[in-house]
Amino acid sequence: MIKFDRVSKSYSSGSRALADVSFEIERGTMVFLTGHSGAGKSTLLRLVMMLERASRGQVIVNQRNLSNCPDRLAPLVRRSTGMIFQDHKLLKGKTVADNVALPLMIAGLRYPDIRKRVRAALDKVGLLDKESAWPQTLSGGEQQRVGIARAIVSMPPLLLADEPTGNLDPNLSRELFRLFEKISEQGATVLIASHDLDLIRQTRKRVLVLSNGRLADDIPASDGQ
Amino acid sequence: MNDDSWLTRLRRRNRAWLRRHSYSFFSSLGVLLKHKIGTLMTVLVLGIAMFLPLGLYMTLANLDGLNLRQDEWSAVTVFFKSGTTQEEVRRIADELDERLSPEAVVVISPADGMADFREASGFGESLDILEENPLPWVMQVSPRRGTTEQVEARVAELSDFLQPIDSIEVTQFDYKWLQRLGRMMELGQAAVSVLILLFGLAVVVVVANTIRLDVASHAEEIEILALVGAGNAFVRQPFLYSGLWYGLMGGTLAVLLLGLTMLYLARPLGLLLETYGTAFSLHGLGGFNTLWVLLGGAFLGWLGAWISVQRYLRRLKVGGRLGR
Repeated sequence: MIKFDRVSKSYSSGSRALADVSFEIERGTMVFLTGHSGAGKSTLLRLVMMLERASRGQVIVNQRNLSNCPDRLAPLVRRSTGMIFQDHKLLKGKTVADNVALPLMIAGLRYPDIRKRVRAALDKVGLLDKESAWPQTLSGGEQQRVGIARAIVSMPPLLLADEPTGNLDPNLSRELFRLFEKISEQGATVLIASHDLDLIRQTRKRVLVLSNGRLADDIPASDGQ
Repeated sequence: MNDDSWLTRLRRRNRAWLRRHSYSFFSSLGVLLKHKIGTLMTVLVLGIAMFLPLGLYMTLANLDGLNLRQDEWSAVTVFFKSGTTQEEVRRIADELDERLSPEAVVVISPADGMADFREASGFGESLDILEENPLPWVMQVSPRRGTTEQVEARVAELSDFLQPIDSIEVTQFDYKWLQRLGRMMELGQAAVSVLILLFGLAVVVVVANTIRLDVASHAEEIEILALVGAGNAFVRQPFLYSGLWYGLMGGTLAVLLLGLTMLYLARPLGLLLETYGTAFSLHGLGGFNTLWVLLGGAFLGWLGAWISVQRYLRRLKVGGRLGR
């Protein structure tokens, strides 16, 4: 599903975000990406989302080599990837339901189908009663769950999450990870960037450890996955 | 891959395309109506900008439609000396008819002239105090119709024919006046073309600037849309439709302003022209021209929006990497 082959990413300022990173993630698995701040976790996710281009090496997602993929295909790549952001990235001028509906509107689905899928996604994250609410009236945890609903509403084969538990208390974080596990069990590949080591250990999933842009460790799953 | 699945996929894609457009079409109108004051101000500016060349165009069109037709105004009026006999006038008229074959030669006797004057001047019976009819024999010659140059040549021929005749007191060429008016109309039409170009450009600039501010205020939304997979077309659509709505509303306002102005001017103008003995009614824009104004306005609005949003998207690289 995701293959990094000797991937490096440097910026014009001279700073190096990733250096010679190689790994492979199978379809339908849940993998954690961890490391200290500035280790390159977000850059790695941005490469998978085609928000950045690798300076060297190959990034292959869903059998498509993103390193030589033309820019015009970037929206297509993003449409087949659900992304959860630490700062939620919700539109303040739209209701919860409208925010969740965005990927489906972009895909041009019929309104009754959009409504049905939005309600199903909100139900999954436990926010069905908030569909008409405005994002700014929700708590941080609720906003995060709206972001998750938006990421899973189009049932993408790949789900990326950048520090999804950054604003949540431990209980909510555990609940969220259980939700990711469920999504992964349904066949989606889930890659989560997080530095919540306690929670990561509890899930017993595979962990990629980044340090100063290098893959320092690749701890296999101990849950039988 | 069989034909059916190809067709089904194509149909599905077309339907998705239509749904996206219908969403942008109505949501952009909704946004404009939500910001009533801002929209009203922009539409007012656009409406006035479109009204000005349109007003001049309609003024010229109405002037053109006035009783200024070539056959009447290219006529040469010949006033004979007093004492010229009917036979002499008839002989000259016949000779002229034979040699130059004009469109028409009308001979007006002093008695007919007096009768016309009595009716047109409103003096009526007051003219009875005149002991004798002071009006001369008059001959009105209309040259054959043709292009401006041909009519000019025919009027010159007429002048050459009439000049040596002793019994003629005065020859009046109305054609010169018509010629000048024609040139003025041409100048006016050129001015209309320049104004259409300039004010069309103004419409594009006003819409482009409005949409630029609109796009800037939605920068965060555009970035989020791009992050969840929106391409340039999806991001662009609502702004393009906003431009289209602005242009359409501006065009509608211009047509309304024109209608109201004509309604306001019709009566005093009619009364003024009535004193010159000309029956006059102002001609409106008509259905076809109205449609053109609305379509033109919509297109200019769309163009302004396209220029503005395209520049922004290129900078943001929405369709590709977001460049951060």
